[in-house]
Amino acid sequence: MESPMPLRLVRFLLAAYPRAYRDRYGAEMAAVLEERMASWRDLLDLARGALDARLDPQIEPPRVLAAAAATPPTAPHVAAPTVRASYGVVASGPPIRELNRRTFMRRVLAAGVALLSLEFIGGTLAFTWPQVRSGLGGKFSLGTTADIIALQPSWAAGWPYPYTTARLFLINVPAAKELALGHEASIPNPRADQLLALWRKCPHLGCQVPQLCEALKRFTCNCHQSTYNILGEKLKSGPASRGMDRFGVSIGGDGVIVVDTAQVTAGAPNLGPNHLTFSDPFPWDAACR
Amino acid sequence: MPDDPRTGDLGRFAEPAMLVLVSLAGGAKHGYAIMTDVESFGGAAIGPGTLYAVLARLERRGLIEPLGPQERRRPYRLTMDGAAALDVQLQEMGRFVRAARARQPGTAT
Repeated sequence: MESPMPLRLVRFLLAAYPRAYRDRYGAEMAAVLEERMASWRDLLDLARGALDARLDPQIEPPRVLAAAAATPPTAPHVAAPTVRASYGVVASGPPIRELNRRTFMRRVLAAGVALLSLEFIGGTLAFTWPQVRSGLGGKFSLGTTADIIALQPSWAAGWPYPYTTARLFLINVPAAKELALGHEASIPNPRADQLLALWRKCPHLGCQVPQLCEALKRFTCNCHQSTYNILGEKLKSGPASRGMDRFGVSIGGDGVIVVDTAQVTAGAPNLGPNHLTFSDPFPWDAACR
Repeated sequence: MPDDPRTGDLGRFAEPAMLVLVSLAGGAKHGYAIMTDVESFGGAAIGPGTLYAVLARLERRGLIEPLGPQERRRPYRLTMDGAAALDVQLQEMGRFVRAARARQPGTAT
């Protein structure tokens, strides 16, 4: 229980005392603590003492001297307090501004009010900040169809083009249908209404949907095996209740494909095989393995 | 102890202040010596933080005074005021003890 307290901690605690205290008593207190092999109970006692010294400083010789000097001449001279400067060092040293209880409380209050208003003002400003226009909600230029084919030649044959910055698959719809049906096609210039931007966030729990599986040309989420056809329509397998969500796609005058991620269309609900706009040759309930 | 203005407003430091005064009544002592002395004559142990809070208060009230430092340690001694204040307190306590004894059954004073 009387395990010694590290010297560093002792110094730290002494530093918590007000300046005037340290000047006056610091050296002897340190000497006492070294002789005593201060225990952890002393630590608490010191912390309490430091708090006490801050709240109710009992030591203020310089101020007493100053007050005595400032006594107006009208006051009877005999009544002036006799100031005992019994120790020379502190009394003759530079005046030390001591924090009294009232000032301390006032400063704590002021700091609290300042902090509160800062939070309030900061919160208000944060609300007026413009909405983020990059990331989700922004518009993304994916380049022309030629650019995409240069990056990924299989896109012309129907393989989805993963655009990772916006977490989407750009689908070349006519080519994709041919691919899913098992045909080889090359459709390098689909129109804007033949493009589909599928959000790669599974509508079930938000996992990222991986690239098509080779065997069925279907999307299957790794998390819970929700399965979608090549146009992102939900098939039987897996718990998702609707198809993959879609972003708005347009082609600008310069041929650049632009995806607007602020414009989201929810995938069609999972109503059964007759409600799909496209059926691949595999059974409705088949899932990628 | 509220009777004596010199020791009346010490609050939670009243009791350790009393112990320190008693200790110094036996002669001038520095901080560590006061602590060991107080423990030896059977008072509750005083921690260093409490000790210096008490010393600052007593010194401010002129009940004790510091002597010249010996290396880093500085002895304190009782002033005349301090001795008088201690005397008043002890008489008070004596009266209390006698009054209490008088009420104990079977104890004649």
